[in-house]
Amino acid sequence: MDVVLIGQMAAIALLGAALYTIIGIAPGTDETAVLAPVTLVLVISGLEPILVLTFFIAAIVAKKLTDSIPVAVAGIPGGVMSAPMVEHAMVLKKYGKPDVSIRKMASGSVIGTIISVPLSLLLATALVPLADVIEQYSSQIFFFGAIFLALMTKNRWFAVLSIVPFAFVIQGLRNLYWELDIVPEDTTVFTSFFLGITIGPVILKLFELLNGRVRRNLPRYGTKTIEMRRTKAEKGFPNPFKILNKNETISSAVSSVLGVLTFFMSPVGMTIFLGEMITSRIKDPVKRAARAISSMDGLTNAAYLSGTLVPLIAIGYPLSPTALGPGHALFNAPPVYTYEHNLHHILSMNDFVMATVIGAVIAIGLTFFITIKYAQPICAFVFKYIPHEAMLGLFFGLVMMLAYMDAGVLNIAGVLVIGLVAGFMHRKGVNYGVQFMTLYAAPWLVGLIF
Amino acid sequence: MSAEDKENIEVWEDLVHIKDLVISLAICSVTSLGGYLIAPEGQQPLIYGLIGAVLGFITSTIVIKPKRNFSYTDEE
Repeated sequence: MDVVLIGQMAAIALLGAALYTIIGIAPGTDETAVLAPVTLVLVISGLEPILVLTFFIAAIVAKKLTDSIPVAVAGIPGGVMSAPMVEHAMVLKKYGKPDVSIRKMASGSVIGTIISVPLSLLLATALVPLADVIEQYSSQIFFFGAIFLALMTKNRWFAVLSIVPFAFVIQGLRNLYWELDIVPEDTTVFTSFFLGITIGPVILKLFELLNGRVRRNLPRYGTKTIEMRRTKAEKGFPNPFKILNKNETISSAVSSVLGVLTFFMSPVGMTIFLGEMITSRIKDPVKRAARAISSMDGLTNAAYLSGTLVPLIAIGYPLSPTALGPGHALFNAPPVYTYEHNLHHILSMNDFVMATVIGAVIAIGLTFFITIKYAQPICAFVFKYIPHEAMLGLFFGLVMMLAYMDAGVLNIAGVLVIGLVAGFMHRKGVNYGVQFMTLYAAPWLVGLIF
Repeated sequence: MSAEDKENIEVWEDLVHIKDLVISLAICSVTSLGGYLIAPEGQQPLIYGLIGAVLGFITSTIVIKPKRNFSYTDEE
């Protein structure tokens, strides 16, 4: 591996870490919604595969480090994954210790990363022999995966029954495009449908605003008041092992191992489960909260990294919620990557190790340092100057453009249809996992019936 | 802030003003799609679209004020 390439990897890792340090802080930024489109664009623009992976790892580590900041200072989750931590972070905030929250969470994240990188690589190597079998039956696996995930949701029968109709909507649009010669017969529109599902809930909400009666009945708010207590700046380079006490370090490490081993499960579900398990034992509220958030952050970080790396290295199919969501472009981003030709096939084990290590180390070095030292001013900047409208606008604009790129003007309407249906399903409790699996299985499923 | 000023709604975990949201969606859609469409022949249109998206984001950030009331407290 030559020096120029390593330099490029370091540069793109810095870029990813810097970008997602800022995005992570913005409230309500769903991991899939913010990571998938950007990664996708990098892939389609023809960036070298190893650089794409480096960027992704740096981005995800940085995002997971910083999305705990708004939780700690304002009780607003920085992403879906940090939602389960709000309760515990609020305890620390109540006792006037939001800075403790940030430090403990960030340190938990670092431990999660340190543990999950080597462990994921090992686990992936162990799973390689299964890859051929899995590859042969991928559509079936996605279909049964969708059913399984649907059965795990609260509104399970609704979710199960929605799979086949949703597959028909997807294949129906594809067939229409072929019929009208908008796209060639051998091209399957995928990317923009994927994004349509991702921002479905927002699209549904926007359409509802067009209805005057709904609009008038929506709850109205003034401005959101966010108060932060000033804290002193840290001196020197922070050491995560000093920030956490012995018990916290151990439980963060154990949860991280758990996060890696359960890479195929929903990280949010695991985090909630773990949080309850830990908190039931400790009496003192401050200690309990500190232990819970450091361990939870360790677990989410580990689950995210292993959820990306294990399927990517061992299988080449996105068989984990993380791979299906944020990391999806690494597996399938036509015309650049397909299931027969993606990072799994292109990169060697060495490449994977290099990209992961460089991405993770740079992201930790940069973001951990910034998080511990400048958490407050960064938060203040985002809260004060970045309007939520601009974030929504940015993602909406990106989706419109990618829709047009995939299949022209008609596909903008097509993506809106997918978004509306997906948004409705999402509201009824059919989560992203079920919908994405359906999107994958759609051609096989519809082909099976006809 | 008085009661009649309450006109923001919640979308995706944070507050927005409907008019501002429409403005931002319009700006970003036009700049992203516009960037993609005006890309010169033979160039990567995607790059132009992305630049458009970023420009739209920056413009919206300047035009629209966040609906958050942020302050430091200095008690203790």
